[in-house]
Amino acid sequence: MELKVNQDNCLGCGVCVVACPVNVSISPEVSGGHGSLNEDVIMMVENGFIKLFNEDKCEKCGTCQMFCPVDAIWLE
Amino acid sequence: MIENTKEVKDKDFNIKRSAEEIRNLSFKDHLCIGCGICESTCPVSAINLGDIGAIVRTDSQNSKLSINEGKCVLCGMCSGICPADALIFSIDSQPISKISSYPKYDAYAEIDDDKCIYCQKCEIACPREAITIARSLPDRSKLVTGEIDINEEICVYCGICEEMCPADAIDVDRTPESESIRVNKDKCVYCLVCKKSCPVTAIKAACRICSYGDYDINMEDAVTKGSSFIDDELCIKCGWCEGVCPTDAAKVKKPFEGTLTIHQDKCTVCGTCVDICPCDVLSFPKPSKSGEIVNNVAKDEQYCIRCGACAKACPVEAIEVQVTNVDYTPTKSKSWIEKFEALKN
Amino acid sequence: MPKHIASGLKYLATIELKKKGLTQQKIAEELGIDRSTVSHYLNGRNLSWNSIAVARTMTELCPKDFLILTKVLVKDAKKAQKIISTCQNKDFEAEVLDSCIGCGLCVDLCLMEAISLESLKANVDSVGCCGCLLCQEGCPTNSIKILEVNNDREY
Repeated sequence: MELKVNQDNCLGCGVCVVACPVNVSISPEVSGGHGSLNEDVIMMVENGFIKLFNEDKCEKCGTCQMFCPVDAIWLE
Repeated sequence: MIENTKEVKDKDFNIKRSAEEIRNLSFKDHLCIGCGICESTCPVSAINLGDIGAIVRTDSQNSKLSINEGKCVLCGMCSGICPADALIFSIDSQPISKISSYPKYDAYAEIDDDKCIYCQKCEIACPREAITIARSLPDRSKLVTGEIDINEEICVYCGICEEMCPADAIDVDRTPESESIRVNKDKCVYCLVCKKSCPVTAIKAACRICSYGDYDINMEDAVTKGSSFIDDELCIKCGWCEGVCPTDAAKVKKPFEGTLTIHQDKCTVCGTCVDICPCDVLSFPKPSKSGEIVNNVAKDEQYCIRCGACAKACPVEAIEVQVTNVDYTPTKSKSWIEKFEALKN
Repeated sequence: MPKHIASGLKYLATIELKKKGLTQQKIAEELGIDRSTVSHYLNGRNLSWNSIAVARTMTELCPKDFLILTKVLVKDAKKAQKIISTCQNKDFEAEVLDSCIGCGLCVDLCLMEAISLESLKANVDSVGCCGCLLCQEGCPTNSIKILEVNNDREY
């Protein structure tokens, strides 16, 4: 399975960024809603849209997909 | 040359080799708990465990397991070692669990019908919905005794008794000119609510038990009868039934002994383990009073079968499962013994 | 031509069985041929020496080639097995390691039907083994070792 995003659907809400357990373990500040301090995380919101930075770090737990309100991020 | 054939149906599949004997390995996705024991056991690396977290938590069409039929040599080890019976290996239609030379887990779950009171607590608690408790209740009319009589000359067919009756035993037809009232004595429990609530005192009723005690009642008639059934295919011997049984009727022997450790500092509360655990061992704890700080994930280790599915699925390696003992039936094959022993870590 | 070579193989087998002291009747039964044919072979009548030479060359090939060629020439599996084990001029023994997983692939691969599974372990019957190594090559865990223990059997 691969992590996919669709920027056309994305609202830029950042829920996936905060919910992603790998993001939180890489950069604990994302869980506080501050945004990551570096680009080591899997995904971040950039210019209002979700962008994948390190999809190879994804552990495929499905958490982002469960929380995304608009099907803009998923595993397939 | 000898080739395997593969048949796929939805998320399930069969791999077959037909020669002198027919060897068949079938996978049932709905029974797979995603522990990955088969993947690490397969001597020819033919098995791949899917991304269980994503598969279980999203409506993925992917199968939890994939097997390369070109690599598979149909040895049956994955089936022998699968703790959930999701892989069934058979030789000439005989599953290896029935062939004595093949080892299998020494594990069971059973309900003693002599002790069972058919409370259905196990049926409700079973995380795999593997238990069915069928019960037939005693006749209510045999547990009560009394008399009731309605004087229709006095009755005004107001219907108050019908509305008040907790046992639904009174029928009042209030059609003008064809009014009637009937008491169903199979349902009446002689509680006397109708008598007390009747505005015109048309009902005479008495409960004999209140006056004379249980002498009229045959206690054998008061017993709930039933039967218990455990679907062996679904059951994973987690011990919930034994844990909730009030009469020690349920007995469970697990295949593994070991420990489950959650590193709360690493946990990011994503819930993957909670969703994946086949035994409802893991949960998000609720604070008992406001402001109380609770753990990220709670465990009820009593029901853990040490399958390791949670540890495998955890995206941040916050869970460790250790197996310290594996119970399996004896076999002469050193390689099979080695694989069972390798489950201990 | 293939039929003639098959006859050549049967001739060699007949001679070999005769050396072992079998009666003509017994040889005919063993090889599934007429008693009169056995008699012809033993008395050197109606023979194609050319075919026999080819057949003899076959027996000297590596065991796998001898096996597969014989299987092709002699359609009946049981007869082919009999001829191969009779004409084989080498003896083999098999060693099955504890790493055997009991997958039975060798059982299915063995054209001599010399392998069976016992308690989840392959058991190779050294009398039937023709040394073709098909089992050893096919074994997923490299658990079979076929050893040549004698190769001075004479015709």
